[in-house]
Amino acid sequence: MSDLPDREHQKAVQARVVGPAQASRRFDVPVVVDVAQCIQGCRVCIESCPVDCLSISPETGKAHMEHDECWYCLACEIDCPKDAITVKIPFLLR
Amino acid sequence: MTQDRHNDVTITEVDVVVVGGGSAGSTAAIYAQQALPRGRVLLLEKANVKRSGAIAIGMDGLNNAVIPGHATPEQYVKEITMANDGIVNQKALLAYAENSYSMIEELDRWGVKFQKNETGEFDVKKVHHNGNYVLPMPEGYDLKRILYRKIKQCGVRVVNRVMATRLLVERGRVVGVLGFDTRDGHFEVIRAKSVILCCGASGRLGLPASGYLYGTYENPSNAGDGYSLAYHAGAELTGIECFQINPLIKDYNGPACAYVTGPFGGHTVNAHGHRFIESDYWSGHMMLEFYRELHSENGPVYLKLDHLAPETLLEIERVLHRTERPSRGRFHEGRGQGYATDRVEMHISEIGLCSGHSASGVWVNERGETTLPGLYTAGDMACVPHNYLLGALTYGKICAEQALAYNGEVSLGELSGEQSDQIDAEKQRIFAPLSRPNGVPHHQYEYKVRRLVNDYLQPPKAGHRMQAGLGHLMRAEQELAEVGATTPHELMRVVEGQFIRDCAEMAARASLYRTESRWGLYHYRQDYPAQDDANWFVHVNVKKSESGEMELLKRPVAPYLVPLRADELSSYHRLRIQPKTEVVAPGPAGAVAQAVSA
Repeated sequence: MSDLPDREHQKAVQARVVGPAQASRRFDVPVVVDVAQCIQGCRVCIESCPVDCLSISPETGKAHMEHDECWYCLACEIDCPKDAITVKIPFLLR
Repeated sequence: MTQDRHNDVTITEVDVVVVGGGSAGSTAAIYAQQALPRGRVLLLEKANVKRSGAIAIGMDGLNNAVIPGHATPEQYVKEITMANDGIVNQKALLAYAENSYSMIEELDRWGVKFQKNETGEFDVKKVHHNGNYVLPMPEGYDLKRILYRKIKQCGVRVVNRVMATRLLVERGRVVGVLGFDTRDGHFEVIRAKSVILCCGASGRLGLPASGYLYGTYENPSNAGDGYSLAYHAGAELTGIECFQINPLIKDYNGPACAYVTGPFGGHTVNAHGHRFIESDYWSGHMMLEFYRELHSENGPVYLKLDHLAPETLLEIERVLHRTERPSRGRFHEGRGQGYATDRVEMHISEIGLCSGHSASGVWVNERGETTLPGLYTAGDMACVPHNYLLGALTYGKICAEQALAYNGEVSLGELSGEQSDQIDAEKQRIFAPLSRPNGVPHHQYEYKVRRLVNDYLQPPKAGHRMQAGLGHLMRAEQELAEVGATTPHELMRVVEGQFIRDCAEMAARASLYRTESRWGLYHYRQDYPAQDDANWFVHVNVKKSESGEMELLKRPVAPYLVPLRADELSSYHRLRIQPKTEVVAPGPAGAVAQAVSA
């Protein structure tokens, strides 16, 4: 068996130079878009968002929340011409 | 997916560039364009001017209106001098106080609806410790729209979704702005005769107790961009150690709004339902009493509205659920609570830097000038203490006038070698994270830096603790080389992470430098608990030295224009309601006993 402190030192050195590794996870996000109501080609909510967290979903062609970066300010919801958006209070705050 | 154009460079030449299209920036751009109908005024905005800045969703009132018949400019200067423990530039406060009423009249003409009484006069309310300065705007949800309409009417050129990352400096003069488009990634060079920075607070500094990075009191796009831009250009900043800490709705992190509810009879109470502070106006001393109560056996602290009549509560809801932070209604309802039946649980916000509420900002004089020629700043990021919304509007106008006067004396000139070098260096610097698509993601970096802010810088402050925190923040500067981005959006967040770290370092160093306590909780040092006027009745300024180090210096407080007596200067130190002591009145003992039991 190798000397434990020495092995720990070697790993510590290695940890400083080894490259990055990734994992991903799901998020419950606050902005919910009613895809049936949302107008194709309309970008009003996307332009309203002060933190630019909305975008057009490549799957549906409609608005969706791309980044979990919401201030729950309601700009998107208030400005939506079709009342297609519901902003929930982010789960961590509810 | 948007096309990545980060190899493209756009160069624009203008007379004035205003960075940030919130309250201050919109006003600056409007006045500059009106004065220069054929001039080139550019309003640069990281979000979209339609919905940006601290009042993206409007504002429910003016918190510092100096209205003839209700208050004089001198009274106001006195009030804020007291509220900020004497460390103010009274000239700058007075310039605000004298010019703000004409701004109210202008807003009135633009269609902003202020509360008026039956005779058509402004309906001013008392919230401050001494004077009357609060003017409600029950329909203030329109304010941002009105400013936006004005911008369009005057023909201001607006560039949205471009984030400024550094200022362009030529021989000590500010001559432009560098940045990038946060959607397609192209690099922006804006050369200008003068620059007006209106980037808002450093509102993403401390980590909210909820752990949600964007659940901040301030609009989270106000990440301290302006503080960092001014610092790296070489401007002096001041009062950084006078943190912004606010009493908020717990978890929701929006204002409980004693300013709105106070005039209706709402107030702050402890768990027993008892008042403990004389005034709900936000000051460091009020926050210290709030902090003490919260952490005593009498906590939590609440906003009490459940004693008000149903029609009063409806009126309060009509304001609070439509303006500033309108989602608070669904927050309360989501927990099955209402103002008629439940008190609103409050707590203390994460720390931030914001002269709109306290006093941290770029050092400016009564003309909005910084220590760098060509650089002006207004709003939450410019140090005119307790300046609030109306201060942003008023100084936005002042900055526009002063910048245009300065423009008459300078020319744009050719793109010099000094400028080209800065442009090349900046492109390299900001796009570097794109070369590390598998690097540490921005949100992990940001969480760590802001968690360090909470652990080491949040008051009560102490020297050893802040010194240790500073060490970690310097390590975080090295760690930036590990952070990666895959899109211009992520790049924006990475650069914001750098702004946040810069602000944290300034906050640590300025707080370590001032070895006394002042401004109640804002700068409460456990190792120096007393206010020390003999040594520290001064401004503490921070700037980048020639060698690139962060440097601290003292600046004297200019002689007062409005003198104060010593007992007046300390009036905000006496905000706690004292327990009633039984006064033994002369006369028969029975009469006293009766009076006490009654």
